Parts: sequence; structure tokens; C-alpha cells
Amino acid sequence: MQMNRDMNILVVDDFSTMRRIVKNLLKELGFHKFDEADDGATAWPMVQTGKYDFIVSDWNMPDMTGLDLLKHVRADANLQNTPFLLITAEAKRSQILEAAQAGVDGYIVKPFTAATLNAKIHKIFERVAERDAAK
Amino acid sequence: MTCSTQIDIEVVQALLTALQDDNQAQAAELLDNLTQLRESELYQHLSGLTHNLHDTLDELVDNELLLQTKHDIPDVAERLEYVLSSTEEGCAKTLASTEKAMDLSESIGDLVQGAVDEAKQQQIQGLLSELNTELTNVLLAQSFQDLTGQVLNRVALTISSLEQSLIQLISESKHDFDAIPDREEGEQKTAEMKGIGPNVTKKSKQDSVDSQSDVDDLLGELGI
Repeated sequence: MQMNRDMNILVVDDFSTMRRIVKNLLKELGFHKFDEADDGATAWPMVQTGKYDFIVSDWNMPDMTGLDLLKHVRADANLQNTPFLLITAEAKRSQILEAAQAGVDGYIVKPFTAATLNAKIHKIFERVAERDAAK
Repeated sequence: MTCSTQIDIEVVQALLTALQDDNQAQAAELLDNLTQLRESELYQHLSGLTHNLHDTLDELVDNELLLQTKHDIPDVAERLEYVLSSTEEGCAKTLASTEKAMDLSESIGDLVQGAVDEAKQQQIQGLLSELNTELTNVLLAQSFQDLTGQVLNRVALTISSLEQSLIQLISESKHDFDAIPDREEGEQKTAEMKGIGPNVTKKSKQDSVDSQSDVDDLLGELGI
């Protein structure tokens, strides 16, 4: 899966200010197709449509956490390779390891910078390209 | 409050007889007996109630209340402090950038003087003026921090007062505050999976990373 500036991105966070900031930063990076969800629970049916090439999600959300959303995605045969980036305030070592075990592609702790977001996205899609090339 | 005191009709008849005979001493003794009986019934009833309250309190404080009072409520003060200082920091950064942007806008305005034709100048000045209005709006919007800060300070006072009341309640129910154990590890793990938010208290900063580069190091070890 190539990183192309036309890809459909789903931004998931229960705080609208954070969704807004992430979207604006992604726009600065040249992306322009976004959808938003305010919880893992509202995001999951959207993800199941197969529309999204990239998911950017928070962890701590009331009905379904970002971690559980990630696990759902990885458990679904059609969706399991969707690149998934967590942007979260959760910073315990055990949490980061749990996310890694669940198959997250990138983990950004809040507060973060535009440069970090840029670097992580590039890294994620580089690895995705390598993985696809190896097939 | 009613108690089922068994009052013998014979005792009452004896009292009546004593009074009719004007036997004050006898009447007083009989009345005393009746009163004592009533008092001891009342006393038992009250004892029973107090015992129930004690048990109820014991049940209540044995569980969540003890743990919350010892562990969660003191954290609240630290968390409120974090909110206060980080909103202040955020506002300061916003204001600094806004001020810088306003200076830049002025510089652009100066630069276009005489550098472009009259019509274009008018256009640019118009846009810069709109820009400055927006920047001023950003500046003014930061004033929320003062108001929310005042509200938070009052919340902090209420929480502190509540904490004292709870500690008192616990000690009055004869619990040893210092003997209250830590939360169970399993509980902590479950909470972490649901998400516990930013680690802003001294206690919660243990076992957490300090920066993105710490995260990268940790994940780097796993090939991510």
C-alpha cells in the first residue's frame, strides 16, 4: 500500500479539538481526504466499509478504546493490514508494549510535534512498502 | 419511634390503686419501674440502630471508599494543578505565536509599500487588515484561561474539604487510615487497557516514558 496524498484517512478521537489539530497537520503534509469519528465504537462500522487506507486514533475513548479498535482491525481478514497509528497520552511502558503486541504501526505520545507526525507517517508507509515488496 | 414495651395491666392497676390510696411512695416506685422498663427498651433499640449504622459504615468503607480516599482523592489536587499549569503554558505559547504573527503581518505591510502598484497595495493591505483581526481574535480567545483557572481553584478547595471529611468519617468508623492497602495490581492493569490519560502525578509517572524518543527506543527494540 503506497502512501499517496489521495488516501482516505480516518481520524478518531473523542476530543474534537484534537481531531481538528490532527486534520490540520495532515493537511499541511498534503493530505486532503479525511473522515472523523469520536469513539472506537463509531469508528468501527466506518472502518468495516473498507474505505480507509490509514487510521489515526487516540487510545482513551469512552465506548471503545483505540487499542480495542486496533485489535478489531487486526482480527478482520479484510482489514488486518490497514496501517494504524496511535496518537495518545497513554505513556506507560506496559501500554506501549501492549499496543506493539496488538500490531500497531506507530505510536505517538501527546503532546507531539508536526515533525514527529510527519516522520512517523513516512516510516509507517516505508515499512508497508517494504512488506508489500517482499510478498 | 415506637417500641413494643410489654406493660402489664396489673402494674398499671397497682399504680392506679396507689394513687387512689394517696400512697405517693408506692406510686413513685411503680412509675419508676415502668419508666426503667421503657428506657431499657429504648436503649436496646438505639443500640440496635447504632450497631446497624456501624455495620453499614464498615461495609461502605471496607470497599471503594477507603481506597478512593487514600489513593484517588489526593491525586485530584495534583491533577488540577497540572490542568492549571498546562493551560497557562498553552495560552502563553499561543500568545507568543500570535504576537510574532502580528509583527510579521506588519513587516509584510511595510514591504509592499512602494513595491507594488496602488491597486495591489490596497488589496494586500485589506488582506493584512483581515489577518490582524483574526490574530486579535486568537489573542482574545486566550482569556478563557483566566476564567477556567478561577473555577478550578474553587474546585480544588471543594475537593480538599471533601477529602478532610472523608478522612474524618473513616477514623470515626474506627479504621486505621495508614493500614489501607494499595490498589490491586490487576485493577491497575485493567485501568491501563481502558486508558488512564496523561501521567501527571508523581505516582503515575513511574513506569512511564518521558518523551517520544523514549517511545521510539522502546518500539525500536521490537522492530517497530
